[in-house]
Amino acid sequence: MSNSLIEVNNLKKTFGGLTAVDIKQLGFNKGQLTSIIGPNGAGKTTFFDLISGFQNSDSGDIHLKNKDISNFQPYKIARMGMVRTFQLTKVFDRMTVLENLLFSGSEISNDSLFKSVIKSKSQKKYEENLKDKAKNIMEELNILHMADSYARELSGGQKKLLELARSIINEPEILLLDEPLAGVNPKLAEDILLLIKKLSNEGITILMVEHNIEAVMKISERIVVLAEGSLIADGNPNEIRTDRNVIEAYLGKDND
Amino acid sequence: MKISNKFLFAVFLTGFSIYLVFALNPEGASRILLNLLTFAGIYGLSAIGLNVHFGWTGLLNFGHASFMGVGAYVTLILMPHAAGREGEITSTGLPFIVALIIGILSAALFGLLLGLPAIRLRGDYLAIVTIAAAEIFRLLVRDLESITGGVYGIINYTENLQQYRPNFINNFSESLGFSPSQAWVCLVAWISILFTVLFLKRLNNSPWGRALRAVREDEDAVRAMGKNAVWLKLQSFMLGAGIAGLSGVLLAFNYGSLETTVFVPLLTFYVWAIMILGGVGTITGPIFGSIIFWVIISETDRLAFILFENANGQQLAGVRFLLVGLLIMALMIFRPSGLLGKKEELLLDVK
Repeated sequence: MSNSLIEVNNLKKTFGGLTAVDIKQLGFNKGQLTSIIGPNGAGKTTFFDLISGFQNSDSGDIHLKNKDISNFQPYKIARMGMVRTFQLTKVFDRMTVLENLLFSGSEISNDSLFKSVIKSKSQKKYEENLKDKAKNIMEELNILHMADSYARELSGGQKKLLELARSIINEPEILLLDEPLAGVNPKLAEDILLLIKKLSNEGITILMVEHNIEAVMKISERIVVLAEGSLIADGNPNEIRTDRNVIEAYLGKDND
Repeated sequence: MKISNKFLFAVFLTGFSIYLVFALNPEGASRILLNLLTFAGIYGLSAIGLNVHFGWTGLLNFGHASFMGVGAYVTLILMPHAAGREGEITSTGLPFIVALIIGILSAALFGLLLGLPAIRLRGDYLAIVTIAAAEIFRLLVRDLESITGGVYGIINYTENLQQYRPNFINNFSESLGFSPSQAWVCLVAWISILFTVLFLKRLNNSPWGRALRAVREDEDAVRAMGKNAVWLKLQSFMLGAGIAGLSGVLLAFNYGSLETTVFVPLLTFYVWAIMILGGVGTITGPIFGSIIFWVIISETDRLAFILFENANGQQLAGVRFLLVGLLIMALMIFRPSGLLGKKEELLLDVK
């Protein structure tokens, strides 16, 4: 096997006659911040769905840390340290911001029905530690003042922040961010970018799907370009900027 | 502890409903009230179980009657009883409490069995499957005459519970003109509610309760956080089904004989109405909802009689459903979150 943290081979997914994803080989290295770009319908989100287990591929295999995860349930993949966010932000609307974080940070064993009936001291202590951890993250992301608000009351940008906070509370090894800047105001986008950069510097491997090319160019170490499900370019931002295929994929459609 | 206005309003409305019973029934009001409170306790308990499914976990369960039915049938069959066309007597059996526990566990197990294939469905699809499963259960019970007594039902089982009736109930009932056996069932029902509420209160703010609410809000996000949403839903299904099973047993003891027509879908819809009236997602809401609901059910024909003096029985029944319908409409318009539900947590929109 290769040294890649995540690796896919001959990965294919079709919807009826439409090929959503068809990738021969693609690997991602530990610690790298990689952006996946491409025109609408290029298969970026489907690719995320496949590697995070939310959709099953038609053929091909997916390896995470040299383990075949092709038919794994999403929650198993998440437990292996790969956590994703969603393009359309998914927060727990009718729970408070704090509860959102506590749920996400809590281990499976802490959630058990038995322990919750017994209400052991150890569970209480665990919850207190968890609360501190959640508070620290909320402080870092500037949402501490919203801790007791229902998540549905947050603005779009704040929801993105909450989703990010929820994803990092368990210190994942790999983060899959699906359009973390979509619908976010420029100032907040700047903050989120800084945060992503910081997480990357802390050693988290990050894969990001994003349409904001300027932001992508600024923070990515590597850029992977998809068009119509296939890989058309792969390299550092400078290489991608001048890549002929990429320019055609983005601009060619206008000429048709 | 601060008592909220909502709570006071619920208590007031419940008190007013009970007052209505006395106002509308110059004679025998206390007996009517006992009957009504017994049903209210049993249905309220069932609605509390349904709230674990729907209010906490967002599971659209329209087969609640079958969980009540499984609990009732398993418990009764395990105890001494008579069943079927000839009233065939089974004179040996387990003591009440053992049979009850097995009955409750069976209801929970039925929840698990129904849940395993069905729980992956969302929203209305789960509703369709549960209502179908409940009907399959009911028809199966009807046709398994050798075990369940079929359409002839089960009789002669009430002594299993009544033998434990304390003496004070007898004295107390005599002075008030109650049926002592119903007073005892009523007491057992309300004690069951008390313990169930205490148990659920304990769970509500626990990490487990929190996880159920997260499932209710967004299953995909739950999975993305590394949690097994299916298992959480199954646990919720089993807990709520177990509570329903207990209420089913009590319902059987209140009726004194049991047949399959008790568990028609209408039973499920009554329980739903009670839960919505009391407040989806609340723990104590269904208690108030249930009392008020039963006052409405049992007293609307009297109210209708006052409004339409010359109406006959059939016409009165029509007016009664009209009044119930109007009341539910008014409720949905002016207080969709029910008596105790929080407006910010309004839970009736299903994904």
